[in-house]
Amino acid sequence: MTEFLAFTITGIVTGAVYAIAASGLVVTYTTSGIFNFAHGAIGMVMAFLYWQLRVHMHWPAPLALIAVLFVAAPLFGALIERVLMRNVRGSDTGVALMVTLGLLLALIGVAFWRWKQTEPRALPEFFAGHSVRILSVNLSWHELISIGVAIVVAIFLRVLLYRTRTGVAMRAVVDDRDLTALNGGNPSRMSALSWALGSMLAALAGVLLAPKLSLNVLVLTFLVIDAYAAAIVGQLKSLPLTFVGALALGLGEAYAVGYLPTSGFLSHIKPALPMLFLFAVLLFLPQVRLRVGRVVGGRSVRVPGWREVGITGVLLVGATWILATIFTGPDLATLGQGLALGIIMLSLVLLAGYGGQTSLCQMTFVGIGAVVAAKISHGSSPLGLLAAAGAAGAVGAVISLPALRLTGLYLALSTLAFAVLADNLFFLQVFGGGGGKNLHRPSILGISFNGDVAYTVLLAVVFMLLAAFVLAIRRGPFGRLLSAMKDSPAACATLGLDLTRTKVGVFALSAAMAGIGGVFFGQLRGSVGSTDFYYVQSLVLLLMVTIGGIMTVSGAFLGGILLGPGFYVLAKIIHIDGLTFLGAGLGAMTIARSPNGIVGQVSGFVDRFRRRPAAPEDGITGVEVTEEVERVVAPVG
Amino acid sequence: MSLLSVEEVSVRFGGVMALQDVDLSADPGRVTGLIGPNGAGKTTLFNVITGLQDPTSGKVLIEDRDVSGMKAHQRARLGLARTFQRLEVFGSLTARENVLVAAEIRRRWAKDGSNPKEVTEAILERVGITGAANERVDAMPTGLARLVELARALAANPRLLLLDEPGSGLDTQETEAFGDLLLELAQEGLAILLVEHDVELVMRVCELIHVLDFGKKIAEGPPSEIKADPRVQAAYLGADEDAAPDEEVVPS
Repeated sequence: MTEFLAFTITGIVTGAVYAIAASGLVVTYTTSGIFNFAHGAIGMVMAFLYWQLRVHMHWPAPLALIAVLFVAAPLFGALIERVLMRNVRGSDTGVALMVTLGLLLALIGVAFWRWKQTEPRALPEFFAGHSVRILSVNLSWHELISIGVAIVVAIFLRVLLYRTRTGVAMRAVVDDRDLTALNGGNPSRMSALSWALGSMLAALAGVLLAPKLSLNVLVLTFLVIDAYAAAIVGQLKSLPLTFVGALALGLGEAYAVGYLPTSGFLSHIKPALPMLFLFAVLLFLPQVRLRVGRVVGGRSVRVPGWREVGITGVLLVGATWILATIFTGPDLATLGQGLALGIIMLSLVLLAGYGGQTSLCQMTFVGIGAVVAAKISHGSSPLGLLAAAGAAGAVGAVISLPALRLTGLYLALSTLAFAVLADNLFFLQVFGGGGGKNLHRPSILGISFNGDVAYTVLLAVVFMLLAAFVLAIRRGPFGRLLSAMKDSPAACATLGLDLTRTKVGVFALSAAMAGIGGVFFGQLRGSVGSTDFYYVQSLVLLLMVTIGGIMTVSGAFLGGILLGPGFYVLAKIIHIDGLTFLGAGLGAMTIARSPNGIVGQVSGFVDRFRRRPAAPEDGITGVEVTEEVERVVAPVG
Repeated sequence: MSLLSVEEVSVRFGGVMALQDVDLSADPGRVTGLIGPNGAGKTTLFNVITGLQDPTSGKVLIEDRDVSGMKAHQRARLGLARTFQRLEVFGSLTARENVLVAAEIRRRWAKDGSNPKEVTEAILERVGITGAANERVDAMPTGLARLVELARALAANPRLLLLDEPGSGLDTQETEAFGDLLLELAQEGLAILLVEHDVELVMRVCELIHVLDFGKKIAEGPPSEIKADPRVQAAYLGADEDAAPDEEVVPS
């Protein structure tokens, strides 16, 4: 009984911190309409900042707390609202997703750079050493404070949002920004305020969590991500339900630690529990209604003709061959890596660029592909390639199913959840502690591709073949269907299209392609390990292909080259830790200005240069479509 | 037995009754009109019929089969197609591709061996937009884009066609041709439910007209009766029942 009580109290404490983090997320979402994926990263950076002041610079705790919670965090929140989120407003959810993911990675990059992870750091608990005994269970003052703070936050938010003019105005802004302005509200100030508040709550959760865990960048970022699961219970809207969700999650985790076996498969469930919880909640959420009344279009890019593709292909393979004979050692390896990453990114062009769906777990599919192929003749046979595609595709279909009924945001969340789940359950099991899987390079038609030069050229050929495959889809009925579905899901449904089936289809196809990419990725490197597929790698991948241009196959090529050779060269000039995260993150934050990435910018420039007539501005997207005003009040008289 | 029967459908949005116990039917071979002032609930009713909006109460029957639990795509496969008041065109595709996608979607579920390309060309010709077929739809004027939506709906080869203000954005001559097309389609056996603000067009093509106001059905009958109905005039003018009818709204 004492044991049960102890676990219950631990659970309540964890739940309290989750509740603080999750309520911050809900506050920004309900008041700005933007889901802040960087919420956890903000908490992480603020925890490090607190460590810097409190431990490194020996500031007294109250002073350090005030500096972090009431100065740095709100200022930072307001700053990101002003600099980043203002550009995002009014654009589609995809752009907001990229920008907040960019911020997430940039913050991870900054943390790696400023606080080297090789140095051990610890943050003391508040009033360390003091504890009270409640029902024969020891409770530290730090834990008591966590519970107390959560209660205060709950009351404060409730009163603020429902009982004060400011709170009502904050909620009004997200419903109708212009109307709020007309009624004398100040939407910009309200948005800035809500971001400041969200950032404060993230910082609070970070500071309370850090002493209980190690002060580690990815662990802390990820732990506040766990709070997402709690926020989903309230469908990102209801604060009371969010608190209920957080408590349930905290208790579930505590009992899992207490009662699940300490060895074997089940012992790995604990770190994955929040994500399992998230999946379970997603299954129970009601299906969203299809929205009508929008005109979409304008984001498509010219599709090259087959002649053009052929010539580009020959040039690419030829150029790769020449470069491969010039380069040696790591230079050559990084060229191959760029091509292999390009192959993987093609799967995202199909899924996100053409299909308008998001995947934050593409590297997980890459990993599944590599692992499955390694099991079959070490990946060198065509059978291994087929099995990799089949396994990754099947997993993709299964995990996308629950979220595809919902909106894009939920798909993003559940794929992120799946990536974390796979890290903890699948890859940890497969690779054990730091082990790798070997993949051998193939011989095709008697030609051995074992040599580095030959294999790099093979990668260029494979890239071109898969690019041609993706382009063939784009030009065919399925590509048309994807464009149509992206423009108007409602119209597609009323024409008899089963949206869920089509979306699952494209998701599975993209996952299968990523699985194939995994085989080449693994063969290039000779062996793969669990860190290759860590969830942040999927984020880097998505952001880099978006920076390159997610609507085009050339964008995938450019994204791969930037991520491989690009950062390789950059690292020779700038010697800081976390450079890739910082670069990808900062790059993605510019997406709000050019959603078609670098390729879109360049082709726009070329079109202007050629003085091609642009699409007329006064089409239906240019003109405001007047909405039939719903008459809700009876006319007077 | 009507092809479409709507029985006592109500929809509540918070404190507002968007539709209240509405009954309505549509039959093959004729154009049925659905008119009413802005905000009367016409588009909401279309959304209920096509499965984009769940009713608070009431049911929708297609050939006496209750389709209330069915999703939008399942209802479409029973022969429902529609256009949208606020356009839902595939903006990044050309007019031809808009129609082709619809024909390809239909072939997938109908498995009738039809040739989508042939179907597309025939429909483009029939609706009279072959000349604009290669234009991207998001660059088109609204009137033309509405015709693309009509063509797209026809490519699904429906039995019941729901048109939500298809005539707005058309000039007099185009409206005339459009009316002829509707009558032709009805003659071929199609059931058409038409929401339209151009009352002249409605009076010309509809055999039966339903009038909605504030979510309630206030009148039903042939054009001549509807024109003379004082409640309809009042609804349109917001005036007393004995007020003089406005010629522009309800021409006599």
